[in-house]
Amino acid sequence: MDLKELTKNKFLRALLLFMVVLLPWFIAIIIVNNSSEKEEAVTVKIINYKADSLSSPVDHSKFEILQQKFETPQQVTEACLTCHNKTGNDIMHTSHWKWARPYVNEKGDTIELGKKNIINNFCIGIESNEPRCTSCHIGYGWKNKDFDFTAEKNIDCIICHDQTGSYKKFPTAAGNPVTEETMFDGKKFLPPNFNSIAQNVGLPKRENCGSCHYFGGGGNNVKHGDIEKVLTKTTRDIDIHMGIDGENMTCTACHASDKHDIQGQLYSVSSYNQNRTTCEQCHTETPHENKILNQHTDRVACQTCHIPTYAKDAPTKMNWDWSTAGRHNEDGSITVEKDSNGTMAYHGMKGDFKWEKNVKPEYYWFNGNAKHYLVGDKVEDTTLPVQINTLLGNYADANAKIIPVKVHRAKQIFDPINKILIVPHLFGKDSTSYWKNFDWNKASITGMKVVNLPYSGKYSFINTEMYWPLSHMVSAREDALSCVDCHSRDGRLANLAGFYMPGRDYSQILDTIGFLLIILSFVAVVIHGLLRYFSKK
Amino acid sequence: MKKSTYIYRRFERFWHWSQVLLIFFLVLTGFEIHSSYEFFGFENAVKWHNIAAWAFLVLIVFAIFWHFVTGEWKQYMPTTKYMMAQINYYIFGIFKGAPHPTHKTVYNKFNPLQRFTYLGLKLLVIPVQVITGFIYMFYMYPENPIHIGGLSVFALIHTLGAFSLIAFVILHVYLTTTGETPLTSIKAMLTGWEVVDVDEQEEHAEHLKNAVKYSIAGYYRLDENGNFLDVNEAWLKMYKCTDKEQIIGKHYSITRKEDDVKELDEVVKQVFEGKIIKAVPATRICKDGSLGKHILSANPTYAGGDITGMEGFIIDITDLDVNSEHLHYAVKNSQAGYYRVNCKGYYEDVNDAWLNLYGYEREEVLGNHYSLSRTKEDLHILDDMIAKIMKGKSISNMIATRKRKDGSVAKHIVSANPVYKNEEVVGMEGFILDISNIETKL
Repeated sequence: MDLKELTKNKFLRALLLFMVVLLPWFIAIIIVNNSSEKEEAVTVKIINYKADSLSSPVDHSKFEILQQKFETPQQVTEACLTCHNKTGNDIMHTSHWKWARPYVNEKGDTIELGKKNIINNFCIGIESNEPRCTSCHIGYGWKNKDFDFTAEKNIDCIICHDQTGSYKKFPTAAGNPVTEETMFDGKKFLPPNFNSIAQNVGLPKRENCGSCHYFGGGGNNVKHGDIEKVLTKTTRDIDIHMGIDGENMTCTACHASDKHDIQGQLYSVSSYNQNRTTCEQCHTETPHENKILNQHTDRVACQTCHIPTYAKDAPTKMNWDWSTAGRHNEDGSITVEKDSNGTMAYHGMKGDFKWEKNVKPEYYWFNGNAKHYLVGDKVEDTTLPVQINTLLGNYADANAKIIPVKVHRAKQIFDPINKILIVPHLFGKDSTSYWKNFDWNKASITGMKVVNLPYSGKYSFINTEMYWPLSHMVSAREDALSCVDCHSRDGRLANLAGFYMPGRDYSQILDTIGFLLIILSFVAVVIHGLLRYFSKK
Repeated sequence: MKKSTYIYRRFERFWHWSQVLLIFFLVLTGFEIHSSYEFFGFENAVKWHNIAAWAFLVLIVFAIFWHFVTGEWKQYMPTTKYMMAQINYYIFGIFKGAPHPTHKTVYNKFNPLQRFTYLGLKLLVIPVQVITGFIYMFYMYPENPIHIGGLSVFALIHTLGAFSLIAFVILHVYLTTTGETPLTSIKAMLTGWEVVDVDEQEEHAEHLKNAVKYSIAGYYRLDENGNFLDVNEAWLKMYKCTDKEQIIGKHYSITRKEDDVKELDEVVKQVFEGKIIKAVPATRICKDGSLGKHILSANPTYAGGDITGMEGFIIDITDLDVNSEHLHYAVKNSQAGYYRVNCKGYYEDVNDAWLNLYGYEREEVLGNHYSLSRTKEDLHILDDMIAKIMKGKSISNMIATRKRKDGSVAKHIVSANPVYKNEEVVGMEGFILDISNIETKL
């Protein structure tokens, strides 16, 4: 073999070796990088759900009793009850009517827990403020403690069943509509045409539910963050289920009812993991094609990945500082300030607000059960925010899943001597209500007297937090979170402690040791190699 | 003695290089899952880390099987013998050009440090990685059936294992450069061949064994009743037999004409009395009834001091027309000598009979050129013969003159056949039978 051939051969050999070493890498990298799931049309696996196509079986306009001249809304209810003669009793047992649910407290006693004895993080407590708060009650005339919860005629049937869209409860009238044209906050309220409404009743539409649930807290999207008026007519970008270009589902498609008891729990007032509306009821617990994603559903709620942001249209209230309330302009009018988005940043009656849009949720473990701060509970540690409600569950609890939550933070009025949250008398035309007189002391005296609790005469403000699990405004699958949203050093679950998550967790010490081990090996090799090289020369 | 030897078998190399790829790939995807960098994307990294893990597991199962079946697991038995010497070598000796303190052989491929490290990998690091990996895979949300309280401990051990493997790879790759030349060891792991120390005793035994198997001298072995226990290919060929089964168990008398059986009976009788027959000419009757001539040697076989049978070699002399009759009787007292030379003509091995014929000690012969054993005038004949053999031909008999150590010459019949390695002729071997007695008689 001459020299030329030899070099050629050597070159070929080197080339071959190079190929043998590198080719598998190129192949592997190309395969892996091209193996990401292709976007294909996916059929979503659905059980237990069929779009509602049933037309109303009766024409209410034909009923004689509904053609009489109605003077009051109660007359309409009485007319309804003549046929639906068991429904009144059913309603009496629902939380929509009672605004309460049975709850076994720490002593083992069953109590009624609801809006009467909890605090919320917005307008605080309903007692002494009823006419304003109960404008969303499905009844007429819950003005004070003396409301008769057994009077069936006070049930407001039409707030849920009106199909005309013309029926409105007045914001400060304890659940009643107006009897004459009245203005409120720049909006005109007209007396309803009861005949037209009564003859046009049907299954609740989005607007019916929304008339209360959109506006909790006194304005659109104030409380929930994921339920607001845009849902009445929305697109799949905002809510894949309700979007008219999506599945176009109504509220009741998921929140089915049994004897008027509607499925679903909201943990601002609910306490137990029962009769909940879940994604799994239609989607099953293993809805993905990917096995690892299906394994995630063991401990991660669907909502966590599929609701990447909430308040996608209107902003929601994230923070309410009552301590700054009371400011007036020089002319004596109440100070009102709006931020650059046109949302209210300050109101003299209420204090400072913070609003946010397209908010990333916070994440917590939740097993479906919750605890609440009940009116009169002592605050043990005043340095921490008072937990208005507490979502129970943690990593060690096998029934707990990670869920997305809107956390609403506030500063509420507090009795530092008795260490209890004060339920102030806010609403009313009397001489002590805060919104008329702007005197926290007077409002506290009245408010605490109504709830039968002591008031030391001293008040301060304390940080509070309230947790709102998110289930609406579900995004399309392509917009769901991806692995690295959580499986990364500073991902969305960065603050969720108590367990090891790949990609997020590591041991600083171990990584340092490992890195040093590699560096040391490398340095040792280089030094040894150089010494060998030079010692041979 | 150093010799190019096949030390890494095919599966071993496949296993090693697959392991290389898999470990690199697992590290690459694993540290992406550890959030050390982004490359494949987290989802892909997880998916392919799992696939590679399963592939690795399959490979491990095969490798375990292989190690036990081949007995190669013994290579990994740890020893402290020469451990300090090996450490000293890497710290001091290597810089002074000192020789390796331990010698690689087929039976001892690893130095004490390698044994210790590889065993550690096989028994500690890799099992720990597999077990923690499985927990990682199947106890993603660990509560059932055993509550292990989170992945933390297992994940951290898995990470530690990964770091140790990287450190191992760096050191391992570097230490491959400490062979004869920097690339020797890597080449060996690619081709399987490396120049290593060979055990002369082992080699000798191996040569003798192969000599019988592949030689063109026929080998036979009889039991105490004179029935055939074994014959080699060359024997079958000489008797024009195709199937060994036709011979095994049959009495030797079927190999002779009726008249000649007595002659053989006599030989057999003598051997069973403990005598060694160095060479006796014989006429055989082949399977097809044709006749052939050969010279045979015979010696008793022993088990526990008792004669259990006899064995010997035969060399065909059918075509040896020159004085064949004389030869028949003349080479009576000779004995089959065995030799083996490499392709350049240097002696690799010889047996005692050969040494006896030539009057040399073994050490004086091995590694020397065959010219040692020939007169100058005869040298070209042998050169021609070697050239033929190197082309793959065999020579079944040829009369040659040898030069003994004391300078005297003598005649013998020689057989020669090529020695193959990887389909290439790398040497030649054969038997010689002394016929010098004929010469004297004649």
